[in-house]
Amino acid sequence: MGPSGASWRVSALELRDVRSWHRASLVLGPGVTVLTGHNGAGKTSLVEAVVLAAVGASPRSGQMGDLVRHGERALHVRATLAVPGRGETVRDLGYQPRVGRRLAEDGVPVASLAAWRRPGSVLVFVPEELRAVKGPPAARRRGLDRVLEAVVPGFTEAVATYGAALAQRNALLRRAKTGDGAAVADAAPWEAQMAAAGAAVTRGRRQGIAMMAAPFARWLADLGGASGGAVRLEASPSRLDGVGDDGWQDAFRAYLADRRGRDAAAGMTLAGPHRDDLWIGWDDFDARRLGSQGEQRTAALALLLAHRDLLRERAARPILLLDDVFSELDPGRRHALVEAVTDGGQTIITTADTGFEPQREVPGAVVVRVPDDVDAAA
Amino acid sequence: MAELSRLPGIGARSAQRLAFHLLRQPSERSLALAAALTGLAERIHPCPRCFSFAEDELCPICADQRRDPSLLCVVEEPSAILPIERTSEYRGYYHVLGGALSPIDGVDPDDLRIAELLARVEAEGVAEVVIATNPTMTGEATALYLADALRGKVRITRLASGLPVGADLEHADELTLGRALLGRRELA
Repeated sequence: MGPSGASWRVSALELRDVRSWHRASLVLGPGVTVLTGHNGAGKTSLVEAVVLAAVGASPRSGQMGDLVRHGERALHVRATLAVPGRGETVRDLGYQPRVGRRLAEDGVPVASLAAWRRPGSVLVFVPEELRAVKGPPAARRRGLDRVLEAVVPGFTEAVATYGAALAQRNALLRRAKTGDGAAVADAAPWEAQMAAAGAAVTRGRRQGIAMMAAPFARWLADLGGASGGAVRLEASPSRLDGVGDDGWQDAFRAYLADRRGRDAAAGMTLAGPHRDDLWIGWDDFDARRLGSQGEQRTAALALLLAHRDLLRERAARPILLLDDVFSELDPGRRHALVEAVTDGGQTIITTADTGFEPQREVPGAVVVRVPDDVDAAA
Repeated sequence: MAELSRLPGIGARSAQRLAFHLLRQPSERSLALAAALTGLAERIHPCPRCFSFAEDELCPICADQRRDPSLLCVVEEPSAILPIERTSEYRGYYHVLGGALSPIDGVDPDDLRIAELLARVEAEGVAEVVIATNPTMTGEATALYLADALRGKVRITRLASGLPVGADLEHADELTLGRALLGRRELA
């Protein structure tokens, strides 16, 4: 366990008009909970609700409107979350299309999502999570950054500052291209801020990946994947790969100044931490592009467990939410995954698989049949 | 009510409350308010020197001969002058840029009173320019731009970022505390 041995935990969950649920409430134990039930019973929505209450966004859909029960105006989720070092808090999230989110903690409204969300409190594996391996670079960057937000102080702010300065530089270069009163030389103040924030982002990503590499290789092998597993930062611009953390800021600033003409012609900044990617594979096999569905799933699970290790060691053990992973794994891999997630922390697993026997395969697990065991109202 | 609700921070409900209040109070008070508003529109104009607000030819600060002409403080908006004045720590003159650089919003150096600033620095014998743009991304970029434009001509300083007086370190946000650490000063 981490510096404090602390863990995140959700003890109670209430939802109203989320996907197929009208009203539902659920009490969750501190260890492993297995939600079983047939397809469409609403297991995934319960997992989704935990994630909503923790970080305010769905792991499955970028459109919050998709989550509102058909025919209803708004959804609401309330969860009792144990925050490491702080004790239990009651968190509320309401959402209504075109009105937006209403957030509160312990009954006190919180205006900004950034202040309300709890980075590093949950790690989720939903089938869509394969994007973290085979998706576009942005999906892999996001997967990494979500963990670093909880581990590296100031990382969230650095990413936001970098993005805002990047948007300003791009706007300036586009306006300069159309001769709209702006000059490319005026990009300098934005480049200075991109370099300062970008250096913090790059340092954080380099550190994070260095700490994740060994756990990833171990979990990949343990889950029956290849040996020689590796994750590496494919940083942008690659020309600065050899530059150490101390010199990176100045080097990137000079690089940007040098690239103004080409970036202006393209109408955007072509290289920088906003184009970083994560290489995932084994030996020289690029699992992102060449892996089979099964290999990519194993890699995504190994990545999730490496993230769990990093959070546990440097921040607090997150709540693990594994949606429908077991049906795709053979018994040997299932067993390895169950072993890995029964570490004393809270893990919530959903499964529709009738061939999977949680009572036998997951010792000590609490099995909740969905919807029968869920306190629900029509 | 429609006119009132155009004011910043006034929603439809506040506008309604203000309108009813104006109707209820003695009519001479409403007329006094109307006269003040008319005066605002007719008499207040940008100061030709610092671009703050002036009622006479120059604003009261530019008209004050006792101030230190070697100091010039650059702010984004006139509203930033009042809090600096309240500190009583500053005895120089001001220069209002009229905003901050922001290419996204179409604000380029030409849209700010930067040429006027450079001309004043030359003409008024300024020794130090205190850059007091906001500690936001656009304010920082504007400060960096001005520093480049003024480099070698004059001493350039920037307001320090730091901790609120009377607050515990334990409650400071990481960004502010980090800046305060970077900007720490020799004590002995």
